Amino acid sequence: MSTINKDHIVDESNRSETKLVEEEEEEEDLQKLLVPDVQNLPLIPPSAVETNFATYFALDFMKPAHDQYVYRHANGLCVIGLAPSHVAFKDEGGITAVDFNVGKSDRSGMKVTGKRKKNAQHFESNTALCKISTKNDSYIVRCCVKGSLLEVNQQLIKQPELLNVSAYREGYIAIIMPKPADWLKVKASLVSLQEYKKLREVN
Amino acid sequence: MEKEAELGEKEFEQMVRALPSDAVKELLSHGVCTRCIFRLFGLQGPVYASPPSLSSLFDATQQDCLCTLCLGILQFTYSNVQNDNLPLLIADMVKRQAYQFDTFSLEVSIPPIIIDDVNFLCSYMKTKYGSQPWFQENLHSGCISTKDALKFSLIYPLQNLLECKSNMGPFRIRLTYTHTKGNDKSSDCAAETCKRRKIGEPSIVGERSFSSTLENDSSDCCKFLLEKANEPCHFTYSCYRTPFYFGGRYLKYSRNVSQTRWIIDDERMGEASVEEIIGGNILQACQGDSFKFHAAGREDIDVRMLGPGRPFLVEVQNGRHIPSELFVKDIEKTINKMENKLVRVKNLKLVGSDGWNLMREGEAEKQKQYAALVWISRPLKDEDIQCVSSLKDLKVLQRTPIRVLHRRSPLEREKIIHWMKTETIAGSSQYFLLHLCTQAGTYIKEFVHGDLGRTHPSIGSILGCRAEILQLDVTDIKMECFLT
Repeated sequence: MSTINKDHIVDESNRSETKLVEEEEEEEDLQKLLVPDVQNLPLIPPSAVETNFATYFALDFMKPAHDQYVYRHANGLCVIGLAPSHVAFKDEGGITAVDFNVGKSDRSGMKVTGKRKKNAQHFESNTALCKISTKNDSYIVRCCVKGSLLEVNQQLIKQPELLNVSAYREGYIAIIMPKPADWLKVKASLVSLQEYKKLREVN
Repeated sequence: MEKEAELGEKEFEQMVRALPSDAVKELLSHGVCTRCIFRLFGLQGPVYASPPSLSSLFDATQQDCLCTLCLGILQFTYSNVQNDNLPLLIADMVKRQAYQFDTFSLEVSIPPIIIDDVNFLCSYMKTKYGSQPWFQENLHSGCISTKDALKFSLIYPLQNLLECKSNMGPFRIRLTYTHTKGNDKSSDCAAETCKRRKIGEPSIVGERSFSSTLENDSSDCCKFLLEKANEPCHFTYSCYRTPFYFGGRYLKYSRNVSQTRWIIDDERMGEASVEEIIGGNILQACQGDSFKFHAAGREDIDVRMLGPGRPFLVEVQNGRHIPSELFVKDIEKTINKMENKLVRVKNLKLVGSDGWNLMREGEAEKQKQYAALVWISRPLKDEDIQCVSSLKDLKVLQRTPIRVLHRRSPLEREKIIHWMKTETIAGSSQYFLLHLCTQAGTYIKEFVHGDLGRTHPSIGSILGCRAEILQLDVTDIKMECFLT
């Protein structure tokens, strides 16, 4: 902030000048605030997934090597997807198709609307979410978490290869909203990221 | 009014003497109080403040009882208060509260049992005295309601006691009268008829209209004058100031300060809030009861608000102090000199209630400018910089972000990124500042990292790599309001 001598009579032109100076100074201040000190920045920052979610795994869910991840957001929502150790990834050529038309209804057919999530289907943790196919086999992916199904990743129908390249991000399978009490029960059956790494010997 | 206020006692006596003697005497004998007689004859002004004695002027006996018309309201006789000097009582209460004011206005609320319908009283007068020469000579100038008569009775002495004028200003003195029989419908024939007429039901006397009832059968509907008034009203009085508004812009320098007080399960989120810092200081300076904080949109707790700041309004309820221009500047300085420097205020000023419209105007269409600290999973190339800055009015489809999906409707919204600019950071090839100008309501964090592909395109998809956002700042909110 510039200080103006009290005895000095500021006329209009001077005033607009001081205003300009002030604006310039503010611009500089803003720049200082915005530009970070590189030394304080991590070489590789944590990803949005790492920052925003706690990662859990359901291992051998109903069948051996049917490993799935559960990302739990602080707001209670759970993102469900395939863990890197899922058996389907071991098949040659990886996953070639995703079909949400399993069980009694097409999981991608329900349009959930409104804050209250009208039309959301309520599923048990062992309910089938979709069927993923590889060249010679197919596997059932399950909810893992009991709750309301808010959305499935429709992109996977057109681009099943997302699962092969980015299963932990764009290749997520579905978003489920469990009740707090149900979550606590489910959580007890899941393993943490640390345990997962130990058990599956992956990084 | 001012001239009337200067009239002396003599003039008041003359005014009153001019009233038709027979009618006055009759009304007195029915237990109608002096001020009610004045209002029946349509007198106005300060004559109500210190009314000359009717009994001595007309050589009549005035019953020392509760007035059948106003139930004591104009006699200053109440179930809980009995004080001849009601103006002094009110003025003392006002002075004790230490309000600053340069005008005052009275708000009067009376119970429905009081016959305050001017048309009804006029009809009554016409029925009763319509044949009298004084009535026909047009000397009867209409009736005055109890409320107005009470205001005439109090305003002049209050103006002297409070040393200021009465007008419809923001400082209000509220007088509230209630009656135990306020809801008793059947007790009073006149009140009943009155009410029925208002809601358009047939009157008790059958098909005849109310006025014909009056004309043909005056004794019946004038029962109210014969019935002795029972209980006086209950009286409460208080004063308050109507809300006033401060407008301005705020800057938030901290990533640990929320816009509004945010408490989850008794646990405070963030170390403070913009609302409390600004509102609290203003409230204290104005000695109000409470405040409300309104802003044009909001930012996340971990997002700073920089540049010209965000428009806000603080509504002060029942403030005792009227802030002068200088005083407002002082409040601004106080906030800006706070040691922790979490929040800064710009262009703080008193605004009318139209500040609301100013702030809401264009709020939905406003453009917002941000600076995001972005990291990408490979070094930033020159062609990336060109690619990003070449995109104008880019349409982005955003599904409701996962982080707010629990409380918002699942929708896909189209938002527009008007322009983007990258600013490289010396000493790093993977970090850069992304300056962007977007349509209001765009989720910026999701536009950078893509929200699992749920926002498309995103910075990551445009550059074909992983993009992460480490920090976000609002650098401009393009609105006209409170810029100076």
